[in-house]
Amino acid sequence: MSRTTDPVALDDWYVVGLPGDVQAGRPVTRRLLGADLTLERTADDVRVTEAASGRALPVQTAYGHLWTTLGAPKRPLFAIEEFAEADRRLAPCGAVRVRASGLRLVENFLDMAHFPFVHTDILGAEDKPAVEPYDCEIRRDVDEVWATNCRFWQPQAAAHADGGQMSDYIYRVASPFNVLLYKTCPSDAGRQDVIGLFIQPEEEDVSVAHAFVHVVDAVSSHTAIVHFQQTVFLQDRFILENQRPRLLPLSPRAETPTRADMSSIAYRRWLKEKGLRFGIDRRDAA
Amino acid sequence: MRPDGSALPVLHDWELSAGCYAVRLMASLLGVAYHKALVDVHPGGETEGAAFRALNPRGTVPVWVEGPLVIGDTVAILGHLAATRDPSGAWLPREGAAFARTLDWLAFAARRLPAADTARLHAMAGLATGMTDAAGAAREAFRALDDHLARQAVDGHGFLAGPTPTVADIACFPSVALGVDFGEALERSPKLRAWTRRIRALPGFVTTPGVPEFL
Repeated sequence: MSRTTDPVALDDWYVVGLPGDVQAGRPVTRRLLGADLTLERTADDVRVTEAASGRALPVQTAYGHLWTTLGAPKRPLFAIEEFAEADRRLAPCGAVRVRASGLRLVENFLDMAHFPFVHTDILGAEDKPAVEPYDCEIRRDVDEVWATNCRFWQPQAAAHADGGQMSDYIYRVASPFNVLLYKTCPSDAGRQDVIGLFIQPEEEDVSVAHAFVHVVDAVSSHTAIVHFQQTVFLQDRFILENQRPRLLPLSPRAETPTRADMSSIAYRRWLKEKGLRFGIDRRDAA
Repeated sequence: MRPDGSALPVLHDWELSAGCYAVRLMASLLGVAYHKALVDVHPGGETEGAAFRALNPRGTVPVWVEGPLVIGDTVAILGHLAATRDPSGAWLPREGAAFARTLDWLAFAARRLPAADTARLHAMAGLATGMTDAAGAAREAFRALDDHLARQAVDGHGFLAGPTPTVADIACFPSVALGVDFGEALERSPKLRAWTRRIRALPGFVTTPGVPEFL
């Protein structure tokens, strides 16, 4: 397919890689919203061009990643305040391609009910499958979806976890294709680890997931953190590639939610309000 | 440390590598204890670096280090584990036709199945591939395995080299079971699917992310 015409999808910022992916004299190609991009290293920056038109696109480096847009974003890139804290470590966990709508990836990220069954003995245990009630809201002032007071028993909550813990989660959908969670830090109960998923939607049903962790963890090696997240994400990838339809349906009748899916219900409602079309199953559009 | 005071062997490991999974699986089936040294293959590119090349000049994982012995190839590690940790000798038959058949299918794993690993890492992580049609080559290899297992079934043999599993089965299993990661779910390979079920039923079997439970 060629570049989408969906203005809601176009007018937003997307991650297309890490600054280190682009070396001098070795341009790389990336796909975004159905368009081919070329990324080149210039004297002091990275230049991103849309291949079909030759048009130079806006670029910024934020949160350790390279961002660009094919449209005209109506607001600046969302803020992640924890990136101002110097004692945190950022570990980008490697781009992983998934044959699914990026919106499906966000929903999977928001879902706690799958922990015991997909991430058995890591993020959940099969004998403790209950999702306790939590709060969820569309925050109009920042135009984001938040789920708060989420709690889940986790046998191994992070690379540096030493035994199980009751993890407190806050989920934050900062934009339709970018989602974060704040989670009790196993090594410092007063602080929260930040885990995020920046999604580069290549096609409506093909996405590249740029997962990262931004943690207070003086113990684990960088590689141990990356491997932990890769293991967890590979368990998700397998489930995501087998979900049908690959695009996200918004009709309340298309898939049957339970109470544990409150965050997903709010997310879908929010997407519908925005009028986003890219990555959405439009067969049931009402 | 082991009871006799010697250090445990070390597996230089990457969770996503099919070869590393083969070693983890073989070690688990044989009850071999080891330490893991994690290698940041992607996105870190650690296998390209000088420190790793000093350990394994081939620049690949898995690497098995046991005292002065450094083994840098999956098939060789599997053979080593079977030769030194399996008193029954069943995992690496030393006699007659069983020996030859085991080596034959070990060689198949080494020659034909890297295509599947290449297709998988390309589909998953966009890692560069030097092959023109890795997925196609992988499907051909899967078909050859399926055909062979159909012939084995005629003789009442459920595994690649005979009636019981050998290192050859363990060398082939990861690439086949992880084929779903590049979209090959073995729909047209009923014998291969049944064989993956027999392997998953072995005592001591361990899984890795991506191995389907529905095959």
